[in-house]
Amino acid sequence: MLPSELPDRVGDEEDVVGFLTQSSQFNATMAKPAAFLPSPTSQETSVSRHGREPLERLWAIGLTAAGTRKLYGAAIFKAQAVRSIQLKVLADEPPPRHAAIRGWPWIETDPELQKAKQKELAALIARAAGEPLLR
Amino acid sequence: MVSKAASAIVELAERSQSLFGEKAAAISQLMALANDCAEQGWDGDGACAIHPTALQNAKDFLRALPESFPMPEFAPEPDGAISLDWIHSRHRLFSLSVGSSNRLAFAWLDGADRGHGVARFDGLSVPLRVLSEIQSIFNHGNAPLRIA
Repeated sequence: MLPSELPDRVGDEEDVVGFLTQSSQFNATMAKPAAFLPSPTSQETSVSRHGREPLERLWAIGLTAAGTRKLYGAAIFKAQAVRSIQLKVLADEPPPRHAAIRGWPWIETDPELQKAKQKELAALIARAAGEPLLR
Repeated sequence: MVSKAASAIVELAERSQSLFGEKAAAISQLMALANDCAEQGWDGDGACAIHPTALQNAKDFLRALPESFPMPEFAPEPDGAISLDWIHSRHRLFSLSVGSSNRLAFAWLDGADRGHGVARFDGLSVPLRVLSEIQSIFNHGNAPLRIA
């Protein structure tokens, strides 16, 4: 059990959320693929283990994650959607409820091919998340 | 006859003006995005600032996009590139990365079909493969977009 009292393993049916801190990261239809691309330094995408409810706690986690940036909304999807495309979603506390999407293609010799592969996977996560929950 | 030709010229000029206006508005959006993401760590997680060459390449791309094509939406990417997105629905979209090199990374979802690729951009003409993928996203049951 983790300090957050969540199990060590993120369950397949568990909701994970990516917080949207740029107005250009989403439109009315969906969070855009770019919102899920990995950080070039950590090579992972930061997410939190939480669903739509309770809303108050969702936004509290989001505000902490956003820091000084504006929090516009949340893109929520099942961990299984990430695993089904051969990426990993792993608990990564602290902070409480933090998790990371890892296993992104990394091709040092061809950064554009690397990006193209990552974009396809990010688009699939964006499709799974669907319409963003706006604050 | 002369009056008909004059009307056609005026109509063409008006159409060019409105298209130029659409591209100008898109370029303004791009510049606002680059301004929002001008500092390292704009995502709170080590993202690179939008690279000035990426911004220039994105502007060149928009200028080169045939006028019959819809303008994309924009989003910043964590490596300092700019994403140009044509989103028909969450099941049908085309997403292109414009970075600081002359190679464009792209990916698409089209129902059960999906894929990715890389194309070279010379700064003047949008690669045919890219045009063709955008076209296929928007052409289901609609009048085809004209490539040239």
